[in-house]
Amino acid sequence: MAVPDPLLAGISELSEESGHRFEITDNPVEGTDLYVVYVESHPFPASYTVASGVLGFRVPRNFPDACPEDAFFIQPHTVKLREPDTVRQSIDIHRASSNGDFLKGTKLGGEPALVFSWHIWNKVIWNRNRHTLVDHYTHCLRRFDSPEHD
Amino acid sequence: MIDDLVPCILKMNSIKLPLGVLSEEVNFACEAKIWKEMEERLRHTAPSEACVFVLTRPSRGNSRTTIILREIIWPRAGEVIATPHCLEISADYISRALDAAVDAGELTGIVLVHTHPDTEYGKGVGVFSYRDNWYETRLFPTITLQRPKAISGSIVIGNEPHDVDARIWWDNGGGLGTQPAQVIRIVGPEVTFLETPHSVWSDHPDPEVMDRSTRLWGKEGRRKLQNIRVGIVGVGGTGSITLFSLATMGVGKIRTWDKDIIKKENLHRMLGATKNMIGKLKVEALAPVIRAIATADPFEFEPIPTWGTTVEGLNGLKDCDVVFCCVDRLAPRVPLDRFAYAHLIPIIDIASWVHPSNRIIDAIMTHAHVLSPGIPCAWCKQTLTSLRLMREAQGNQQGIENRAPYGIPLEQIDGVEPSVLALNLAGVGLALLEFMQVALKVTDRTPRDLKLFLPEWELDESDLDSLTDCQTENDTGLGDTVRINPVY
Repeated sequence: MAVPDPLLAGISELSEESGHRFEITDNPVEGTDLYVVYVESHPFPASYTVASGVLGFRVPRNFPDACPEDAFFIQPHTVKLREPDTVRQSIDIHRASSNGDFLKGTKLGGEPALVFSWHIWNKVIWNRNRHTLVDHYTHCLRRFDSPEHD
Repeated sequence: MIDDLVPCILKMNSIKLPLGVLSEEVNFACEAKIWKEMEERLRHTAPSEACVFVLTRPSRGNSRTTIILREIIWPRAGEVIATPHCLEISADYISRALDAAVDAGELTGIVLVHTHPDTEYGKGVGVFSYRDNWYETRLFPTITLQRPKAISGSIVIGNEPHDVDARIWWDNGGGLGTQPAQVIRIVGPEVTFLETPHSVWSDHPDPEVMDRSTRLWGKEGRRKLQNIRVGIVGVGGTGSITLFSLATMGVGKIRTWDKDIIKKENLHRMLGATKNMIGKLKVEALAPVIRAIATADPFEFEPIPTWGTTVEGLNGLKDCDVVFCCVDRLAPRVPLDRFAYAHLIPIIDIASWVHPSNRIIDAIMTHAHVLSPGIPCAWCKQTLTSLRLMREAQGNQQGIENRAPYGIPLEQIDGVEPSVLALNLAGVGLALLEFMQVALKVTDRTPRDLKLFLPEWELDESDLDSLTDCQTENDTGLGDTVRINPVY
């Protein structure tokens, strides 16, 4: 089934505003109605072991009535911190884990995703008439700027 | 003086209207608060006639075209000269209405509404006069000129509240066309049906069949049920009960949508389904049974084997007067909610939800919501939320965003919730009570919704009001100009 127009329009706006060429998978993740919106090469924080890679998130077919999922992911899933986090004494990225099902059945599904928890829409509730994928992406990026142990 | 008038009157009598057929049925519809404002102010000038231009939007279904009255453009001082016998409408007023229609978009038409009040010479009747015909054959060439997508029209209101006549005017490409309307629907929390002299409604040929019901809602109520068209989207657990109930209680026209086939696991909660029907389309398998039990006469049943929220389904819904939403997912409720307000077709939404814990119910809810102008929409009542829709879209990965980042495995769910006949019956029962209210106004007030909660055994009604920036309600009456995204 074709990707709905409002979703395509949202991606087009996101690409224009962000300067990154965002794409969408041809089909939803297996067992869900969530498409994967992603950019192939997105810069990561300097503290990560990999300088750039895939960055994306999952968006329901009936966007913007349905909000994007309150999470995002990067690939490769093996990305770590260059130096251990001073609070946790670990090179694992905080509140991020590898998951093999997150992109299952899509063109990105051959490799697991490193899924971040970020509670993007906890404080501000998604407003289907106002918020856009640009807002969602902007929230995701704040994760990279926040203290690692936050 | 009278001698001068005679040729003029003869000329009016000989006016031939350019009759045409735009669609099988023609209706007008108007939100109740707009109709009330318009009617009260127009009647205020009695015994002089009064008139007003109203902007309209079309709602074009498969067999019915409905013209929805929306923005009233009141005449300014001096723009209309009214007497008990006639009206004189200035070119300035016509021009102002036309400009407003052009600004509102190519689908926006104009309806001229005027009154025939009682005068010292006789009773005011809601029928177009020769003078009306004469005047309109001169007015509507201007109003429809180079606006082929806009459907315009006229309504005349007699002295009695339900005494009306109406017709549409449109540019048929080669000239002007006009077609009488059969019904005007006034839609608020309840629907009032005004029949014009062109109505094709009929009475039940054997009223005794409906005797006990008629004792509650009267002959008028029986006539409404016999003639309105009710849609049912989904004929599974709740839809099949709704279908059997409506056919039994005397609804004369029922249209159903469902693409699903009957499976063995449907039999324990789907009324009318038998083992022999397994593998057959639900709507088609039930058709012979429904036709056999129907009490309306004549009875028209249209089983449509597609989803009601596709483009084709939504077009077919525009032919209905009231619709029951009996789907089991949230996603199709989004277009149906928007549809109810944009097209002024009330939707009664039924849903059930059970949460069992070790076979003991720890939470249960069945609800029946009315979605209609004057009642908060499903978003305002928080039946629909973006978060709930997203959760539904997660399918068998519900809650993964809270678990995956911490390496917690996903709980195994298959997305199929319990469904119990008793609970579905309760939900449909509430919905049918609401239907009686919406269609027949059997009490003073229509509830926003009714929810049955267990284990509290409580019946509750939402107290949530409409949001101030509710897009769904702001688009009330905009008909085909509102884009509604289909759900497949």
